[in-house]
Amino acid sequence: MGEFVVLATDACLFALLGVGLVYWAIARRHEHLRAPWREVWARPAAAGAAVVLAAFVAIALADSLHFEARGEEEGDLVSLLDLALAPLREHTETSYSAPFATQAYARETRRTAEGQVRREYPRLAYGGAHLAEPAQRATDLARRASAGVMLGLAIFALPLLVAAGRERRRHGGLAAALLAIARGRTRGPWRSVLGVTAVLALLVGLSAAIAPYYHVLGTDKVGTDVLYQALKSVRTGILIGSLTTLLSLPFALALGVAAGYFRGPVDDAVQYLYTTLSSIPGVLLIAAAALLLDVHMSRHAEAFDSLAARADLRLLALCGILGLTSWTSLCRLLRAEALKLREIEYVAAAQALGARAPAIIRRHLLPNVMHIVMITTVLDFSSLVLAEAALTYIDIGVDPSMESWGNMINAARLELAREPAVWWSLVAALGFMFTLVLAANLFADAVRDAFDPRLRRLGVDAAGLAESPVR
Amino acid sequence: MNAPAVPLLEIEGLRVEFGAPEAPLVAVDDLHLRIERGETLVLVGESGSGKSLTALAVTRLLPAAARIGGGRVRLDGEDLFALPAAAMTAVRGRRIGFVFQEPQVALNPVMRIGDQIGEVMQRHLDLRGAALRARVVEALRAVGIPEPERRAREYPHQYSGGMKQRAMIAIALAGEPDLLIADEPTTALDVTLQAQILELLQAEQRRRGMGMLFITHDFGVAWQVADRVAVLKAGRLVESAPREVFYRAPRHAYSKALFAALPRLERRARPAVSAASPLLEVRDLSVEFPIRKGVFRRIVDRVRAVDGVSLSIAEGETLAVVGESGSGKTTMGRGILRLLPLAGGSVRFRGEDLARLSESALRRRRRHLQIVFQDSYAAMNPRMLVGDIVAEGMVAQGIGGSRAGRAARVAELLAQVGLAPEHAARYPHEFSGGQRQRICIARALAVDPKLIVCDEPTSALDVSVQAQILDLLRYLQQRLGLSFLFITHNLGVVAELAHRVAVMHRGRIVEQGPVDEVLFAPAHEYTRQLLAAVPKIP
Repeated sequence: MGEFVVLATDACLFALLGVGLVYWAIARRHEHLRAPWREVWARPAAAGAAVVLAAFVAIALADSLHFEARGEEEGDLVSLLDLALAPLREHTETSYSAPFATQAYARETRRTAEGQVRREYPRLAYGGAHLAEPAQRATDLARRASAGVMLGLAIFALPLLVAAGRERRRHGGLAAALLAIARGRTRGPWRSVLGVTAVLALLVGLSAAIAPYYHVLGTDKVGTDVLYQALKSVRTGILIGSLTTLLSLPFALALGVAAGYFRGPVDDAVQYLYTTLSSIPGVLLIAAAALLLDVHMSRHAEAFDSLAARADLRLLALCGILGLTSWTSLCRLLRAEALKLREIEYVAAAQALGARAPAIIRRHLLPNVMHIVMITTVLDFSSLVLAEAALTYIDIGVDPSMESWGNMINAARLELAREPAVWWSLVAALGFMFTLVLAANLFADAVRDAFDPRLRRLGVDAAGLAESPVR
Repeated sequence: MNAPAVPLLEIEGLRVEFGAPEAPLVAVDDLHLRIERGETLVLVGESGSGKSLTALAVTRLLPAAARIGGGRVRLDGEDLFALPAAAMTAVRGRRIGFVFQEPQVALNPVMRIGDQIGEVMQRHLDLRGAALRARVVEALRAVGIPEPERRAREYPHQYSGGMKQRAMIAIALAGEPDLLIADEPTTALDVTLQAQILELLQAEQRRRGMGMLFITHDFGVAWQVADRVAVLKAGRLVESAPREVFYRAPRHAYSKALFAALPRLERRARPAVSAASPLLEVRDLSVEFPIRKGVFRRIVDRVRAVDGVSLSIAEGETLAVVGESGSGKTTMGRGILRLLPLAGGSVRFRGEDLARLSESALRRRRRHLQIVFQDSYAAMNPRMLVGDIVAEGMVAQGIGGSRAGRAARVAELLAQVGLAPEHAARYPHEFSGGQRQRICIARALAVDPKLIVCDEPTSALDVSVQAQILDLLRYLQQRLGLSFLFITHNLGVVAELAHRVAVMHRGRIVEQGPVDEVLFAPAHEYTRQLLAAVPKIP
């Protein structure tokens, strides 16, 4: 392992992780922040989705620890994930191969030992290379799959025991706790969490057992393993989904809250700014910015250490541009909320006490608009992941050399036109993207329900029974 | 005629629950009530006593979180809880009419008033076309809407508050019900409108011989409409008696306590206030709101919400400002504190004109003038601890010393308003309405003010809690020599607390003077109207 390298997006992602941890530390101490998260956690679908999201985030983080490679790839950057997936990364074929294939997808012309010219499907360099005969594949796969299942179960045993251990006290005994989990009778949503964990653990176990010997999701045009590509794309998707909102947040918060609180000329200026920005088609703005960036980069090629650094900067720029075009809607929401809050009586009371505007904004406005920020962030995440795919498809998205689901889908445009069609790249990209977006949406739904005061105040509150005096 | 008559409405052992079935929160418990034809039963009780839930349970319209836990409701001998849901829709509107508290939210804003009444008649009386239209106009006329032909084609926003409640009553009566349920129908209205609506309800009830279940928290209103009174406390029936019997001699201790807590509109001895130089002197104060129009939102006109008001308050004195909603009381209070821009006039505090001070100079003076609001829920940031809320003024004014010094002062203030020091570590929503109002008072006191503007501080509270808050204010006045500008619409509270009173009408003060003079020998016509409309208790 060589020297530690921090790319711009790595720094952003870890900064984001830091912000998340700080928020968690603060939320732990404040009941009004903890209560909605408890409500999110109490929803089985949301808790299951959180596990999936956590798995994706873990992959993205592992892929964000970069080192300079040693040995034959001197000068390249590799991540922790690359090291873990070394067999997948290194096992490149010459061209397309189908999932679990032992032979290439296209015939090649070969000269046999007897000097005859034949067109045949050559054996793959890695996929099933350990088999003497391709016909042994089925038994070999079954053997490895059962080993994979065992490995998966072994991985699953750990979280299962942790959960049962935590529930043991309430249900009296480990066996009773396990039974309660299986029946969904626990206070926490352990059944759905463990169910999702079990599926993930089995997938990991199976991949670990099979992927070093076969291309589970096939290979692409230049022979790269598609599973590896799809896993590498996770980081790109997560970055686009989270970083974009993070970059747009300061604008939206500062301008929206200032416009709503100060009104008058400040409000007019902010309103004209965002109405102007939001009336320019977003795609046009992004295309123009991407073009400018391309020209800038080719003029200053010497400023970039490596291709990876260049692709990385382009990704960051894309996040920035997407953020620039998407802050207006959040800004509008925050302005409306600040307009409402400035008329509320605790703000009037603070003014009557002689508090200054910055203090009022910090103490009374910001904490009371944070639920909107939270809801918007999680709701926007999935649409941004999808936007990346769409933008890359029309070639104004991420760098073509960077693994992303958009690039995989873009390539699939031609692959699907082949005869016979190459379908696995597209299916792999869509499958991963679908899982991430579905999990994000389920989670976002629960977050909105828990944080939106309009939805929260139904029920008992409406009947006036919420008044419970303190003794 | 000797057969035992079936009562119009009979509630037997009604129970309404919330929460998990294993550990329910019982909101109404084992309630027994009867209403005969032509009789008005008034259900009184404080907030959370289960009055509204009882009414909703009768029509089976409970909120989703609540459920009927047991008992029976018979309308004309028919068990309503045994009816299928579809049959219930024929009962609601046709046999039971419902009037809600807030006409603003009970009317559909995008439907004409006439159509909303016609909808009920079409459904229950099977009327169509011209006959329906004629009947709608007749219904509006019956509830005292002028020009009913034209008004039937108007939308709710074109109606005033009182007219909206009349329209609601017309809708409730449209199906010619046998039983009318009115849930606090006048609570959102001013006293003069309240008197009119009560009269209307009584007249309609007599004319149709309906039974009426009337829900209120106001004993004055209850006296005016009731044949019988039932008192509810924490979901249980405390006492039920004919009106005269109940008002002459309430039997239960709880009812007696409620009567004792009522602020009474009567003369009493008031401690004299030294007539030295006034603490606050307001001259010709005006507040205007601009009306903006067009793309550039130019100011095309101005509304004068407060129009040339003059008043003065001495040290240790309470000046009450009374008036109906929209008369500019609240705007005046905020104008005096310069929480709103002033259009003219002067506000002299100890001789210094606050209206001419710069923003930063004013900020230092703000500690002398504080405010307590009506809605204690909105008056505190829900995401701050009570200790931080009370300390906010000290932080803003840079007083109170170190963090520990401020914490000690917060504890002292909380004790002063009757709370415990450990309450500083709680959030506002954990407290009841009265306790929250005490916190708001502590926050105002934290900066050692000389004058507190109290903007309807007890209007959202139950009478027993109101009495406690008024006691607290009086105690603080004696102890700290505070002056109060007390804004209220409740003349009973004025008689209880104030030294002098100013009557506001359409942004002007029409009469001002010592309480006994203004309330018992009013000079202005409007003051007389206001006093006449107050429901009296014998």
